[in-house]
Amino acid sequence: MPMKNLIPYFTLGYPNNETLKRFLMAMPLDIINYIEFGFPSNDPRYDGPTIRKTHRIGNENYNENFYFDIFKHFSDNNIKMYSLSYYSDIDDIERFAAILSNLGFSGSIIPDLLIDYYDEAFDVIETLNDMHFEYIPFFTPSTPDNVIKKVSEKTFSWIYYGLQPSTGIDIPYDLDYTCSRIFSLVKSREINFGFGIKTIDDVSELARRGASGVAIGSYLVNMLDKNDVNGFIDYLKMIRGALDVEA
Amino acid sequence: MSEEFKSLLSNDIIPENWYNVTPDLPEPLPPPRDTKTDFSSINLLNKILPKEVLKQEFTFKRYEKIPDEIMEKYLQIGRPTPLIRAKNLEKYLDYNGKIFFKYEGATATGSHKINTAIAQAYYAMEESANGVTTETGAGQWGSATALAASLYNLKSQIFMVRISYEQKPLRKVVMSLYNSNVVPSPSNLTEFGRKILKENPEHPGTLGIGISEAVEYALDHNYRYMVASVMNSALTHQSVIGQESIRQMELLGEFPDVLFGCVGGGSNFGGFAFPFLPKSDDIEIYATTAHEVPKFSKGEYKYDLMDTAGVLPAVRMYSLGADFVPPKIYAGGLRYHGAAPSLSLLINHGRIKSDEVSESEVKDAIKIFANTQGFIIAPESGHAVASAIKYIKNHRNDKKTLLINVSGHGLLDLSIFQ
Ligand SMILES: Cc1ncc(COP(=O)(O)O)c(C=O)c1O
Repeated sequence: MPMKNLIPYFTLGYPNNETLKRFLMAMPLDIINYIEFGFPSNDPRYDGPTIRKTHRIGNENYNENFYFDIFKHFSDNNIKMYSLSYYSDIDDIERFAAILSNLGFSGSIIPDLLIDYYDEAFDVIETLNDMHFEYIPFFTPSTPDNVIKKVSEKTFSWIYYGLQPSTGIDIPYDLDYTCSRIFSLVKSREINFGFGIKTIDDVSELARRGASGVAIGSYLVNMLDKNDVNGFIDYLKMIRGALDVEA
Repeated sequence: MSEEFKSLLSNDIIPENWYNVTPDLPEPLPPPRDTKTDFSSINLLNKILPKEVLKQEFTFKRYEKIPDEIMEKYLQIGRPTPLIRAKNLEKYLDYNGKIFFKYEGATATGSHKINTAIAQAYYAMEESANGVTTETGAGQWGSATALAASLYNLKSQIFMVRISYEQKPLRKVVMSLYNSNVVPSPSNLTEFGRKILKENPEHPGTLGIGISEAVEYALDHNYRYMVASVMNSALTHQSVIGQESIRQMELLGEFPDVLFGCVGGGSNFGGFAFPFLPKSDDIEIYATTAHEVPKFSKGEYKYDLMDTAGVLPAVRMYSLGADFVPPKIYAGGLRYHGAAPSLSLLINHGRIKSDEVSESEVKDAIKIFANTQGFIIAPESGHAVASAIKYIKNHRNDKKTLLINVSGHGLLDLSIFQ
């Protein structure tokens, strides 16, 4: 069985460029699989209050040039990078994908595409497919069955499954039902889970039910705020351990 | 009692599961959104709603088993409700097709509202809440909340919009009879209410203020907040209406071609119409609002606040604006500025059609219905009947089978005829 995926999420520019760089460069490359970078948005509407804050501050700090070397570091080391981008911020999808490809990104998660731009979604997906830029379908428990099936058929990469209505929120959910539904709708596909995942228990429960991996974002913010690089590394190792136990 | 009538009302007409339309929608349902930067009203729901209700709000199981304890109460308050062929109305309208109606006025509190009130109060009791609280305008929802709480031995605190409190004293009596504590809102039970009263001691109140007061009260007293409509879980609980109707029509060897229901927040409508969607792509469906509250024709399909005060999250829906002040119309239950996100999506997608009727059409419909079928129906439900009458006038020779949801009786709303 392949190694399960650990996917840390960071909003670029948060809490500031230097601190973020220190965290990123300290990450042992053998414990993470992909990285998800949020490009600061003025309207991160499907993010919870914690990540919204990181966008607001990230927006003030973000400077593309600062990150060239960092992006190169990860792509040189075969850690695939994905952007978290809001479609509402994208003017030209081809240009958008071309720029990200140049920076070494493999693909994008676009959380508002299916929800707010459903009429355009399939054209966007086709464009990205033609450019061999991975469109990562973003589904949640509220995505209807037929949409999950249609979008899965038209896409090729892994699927991002958000467990919560937005990030960093703790609405109770029925994990058995949620997992069995998504696994029965899309078979033999890599599905990584995110939104609201923080504890070892959360991760073990998901791994046990067949999740391919987990994305963790809001929970890292506290460590970034405290500039706690060691705590951050320990935490990632712990999560790695929980993923490996079940693999 | 004829055999036919008996079997239409036998216990097993009530479905075993609630039906949630979300997995069957043609497009993704836009999720609730926070509107403030550093505060999450979605997280607030965590503190004020029973956990199980929240789960149902966000997990989106197509079928959710109705717990036995709730099923028992459904039987006690008069479920299944009757489904009746309106033969006299057919004759009166000289219609060649058939007209059926589902009668939610037959429940203990006289409307569909009790279907979700029982569920929410049960889940509040299950997690040992001290009581339940909510806002009410005209009083239908407050009455249902009061009874549901009483059935589970929970306390209930109801904030009734002051102007209705003064104008509808009988509703207040009903709630008090069910041991509820009813106060006019704004009240001095909450900080929010006190603040408003200080600015204006004569404030007539609004549903938005009532919601804010109830939410504050829930937080401070370990009460749970009860959701009247609009939110998905309420529509899911109401799905007993449509599922019973399907079974009852099947027992009669019938299936409707056209459905009619009225829309305030969308709970009776969604509960009635949605279970039919997976059954047939051809069924025609009309959602009727009041001329005075033209949310589907003049409203915009956009993210908007569920409540004036902005305590609850924003949802994407047809809305006239959260600050829309509806005229004091004869049908208090239809004054809401928006409509449930799932219903709004289906209207925007074209699967469900909307209609609007005027006060005089509604009053005529209520009179016609009373004189043909005998039941004095709620002004809200009069909208559905008025729509059906309009439809028949334009489709006289189609011989279609119509099914109307009559969401409540109108015995406490007779002042509109004075
Ligand atoms: C009898 C009756 N019908 C309909 C409504 C409208 O609400 P909803 O659209 O949620 O069913 C109300 C609301 O108070 C009502 O009392």
